[in-house]
Amino acid sequence: MARMKFICDAERCIECNGCVTACKSEHEVPWGVNRRRLVTVNDGKPGERSISVACMHCTDAPCMAVCPVDCFYKTEEGVVLHDKDLCIGCGYCFYACPFGAPQCPQAGAFGLRGKMDKCTFCAGGPEEDHSVAEIKKYGRNRLAEGKLPACAEMCSTKALLGGDGEVIQSIYKQRVKRRGKGEEVWGWAMAYNRKSAKPEVKV
Amino acid sequence: MTMNFRNRWTMVLASASATIMTSHTIAQAPAPAKPGVTVTPFIAAPVVAVPVTEAPKPVPVLPAGSTAASGWNVPPKWSDVESTGQYASVRGRETNILVEDSGQSWRGLRNGPLTFYGGIILLVIPIMLLTFFAIKGPFRLHEKLSGRLIERFNSAERMVHWTMAFSFLALALTGIVILFGKHILLPIIGASAFSWITIIGKNIHNFVGPLFLFSIVAFFFLYVKDNLLSGRDFEWLSKFGGLLSGNHVPSGRFNGGEKMWFWLSIVVFGLAVSISGMLLLFPNWNTSRELMAQSNLIHAGLGTLFMALSLGHIYIGTIGTEGALKGMKEGYVDETWAKEHHALWLEEVKSGKRNAKTAGVHQPAAGDD
Repeated sequence: MARMKFICDAERCIECNGCVTACKSEHEVPWGVNRRRLVTVNDGKPGERSISVACMHCTDAPCMAVCPVDCFYKTEEGVVLHDKDLCIGCGYCFYACPFGAPQCPQAGAFGLRGKMDKCTFCAGGPEEDHSVAEIKKYGRNRLAEGKLPACAEMCSTKALLGGDGEVIQSIYKQRVKRRGKGEEVWGWAMAYNRKSAKPEVKV
Repeated sequence: MTMNFRNRWTMVLASASATIMTSHTIAQAPAPAKPGVTVTPFIAAPVVAVPVTEAPKPVPVLPAGSTAASGWNVPPKWSDVESTGQYASVRGRETNILVEDSGQSWRGLRNGPLTFYGGIILLVIPIMLLTFFAIKGPFRLHEKLSGRLIERFNSAERMVHWTMAFSFLALALTGIVILFGKHILLPIIGASAFSWITIIGKNIHNFVGPLFLFSIVAFFFLYVKDNLLSGRDFEWLSKFGGLLSGNHVPSGRFNGGEKMWFWLSIVVFGLAVSISGMLLLFPNWNTSRELMAQSNLIHAGLGTLFMALSLGHIYIGTIGTEGALKGMKEGYVDETWAKEHHALWLEEVKSGKRNAKTAGVHQPAAGDD
């Protein structure tokens, strides 16, 4: 079974926010929540790079570990999903996640946060595939349709790759080999393990 | 190169008393990129600004055939930039931070020692107390009841005490569900029922919390006068209240143990738990994730200790001491009880130094307000 992962190739990302827009329109994400966002480092300086960040679907997911009601689960493809019916809106996943992926639609007084929302790798939720309830709570289930995440499909420079970890890593390896730089797969060391951060490139 | 000028030129100054910089030397010295550059004190010579060239950074070696422009448009070192604020077109709290590391240590401490040792403390303390009760039984009065009642807590004091007590119980129980429920309750009652209990529990916790804070503040002002520490209290504490010898060390209105409970638990733990709780309670204050995670550690850690200590207090105040609960429930204690537990307080009342209502045993505590 394929292990689903994201790669954002910082050498290619042009900060067009297409992935952010694609995600919002595909899933009709709650107001105030952006399942994907862009961060530009060294903005306006030499060495400027942009990274598109969302849930990385970690192997040892911190959100899952700290959830007081265990509302998270992992699919066979390694996608970290959660059950909004069980979520109590405590915000612990939001403290724990290094990527800032889990977000609550509200930040109200007395800890009223609403149900947490995060990137689903376009894999919906625990409800029946393509059911109205699933679409309302989690957005579309593209994986069940045989499609890849909308953000990666939409990416104009193919900086954002989403899919089988081995496939996308081999694409990335080829790129690194050709251009001779940017060998670090951003976020992989944190989300998966140390070794996978740099694909071995034999020149 | 991507480096800024700050690192390339370090301003080296002589001692503070050295010659004032002339405009000439400033002109010669390369201007720092930003004001407030690190100033390194250096050996005595009155020379003013000396540019120190840093060892040149190694230019990244590019593989043969690479089209990259050497030494210019190189990617940043991610570990240096990902935790610092950058630019993000998506607005919001901390959206411009790529990686927030603090959550990992929070996770480790919360799921690790906090849950483990906290759970052990909350299991061991009640077992110890019940064992003590089974062996020694409650502290009983040595003499017969006199039938003369003395007011120990007036209605305001009792109201504040019980507001605090019941809000504490509500907070403790719901807090236990949030921290330990996943390990204890969830496997028994299932995810759906447990989620409902926790949602209700979380809201009870969040709305009762401020009431607890108010009761702590009111409690402090009502009780602080009689809880000021004196030399007698250390004697009481050193003899452990006469628990081992069986002879009560005479004490005033509150004994050393009660004072320790007041200062350590109510004041220190109570305030720490309340303040950290307030930071967690209002995400609309734009609190950072790091601060919330740290607050959560203080909140849960001290909260657990507070619960453990409160078990001791509850034990002594209910089954552990004959007649103690009656004092807080009805406000009046028997003179015999006062003599055996708080002899100096009884003296003060009897000599008229302290105003306290008295009543006969058959008279209901009417008009006590």
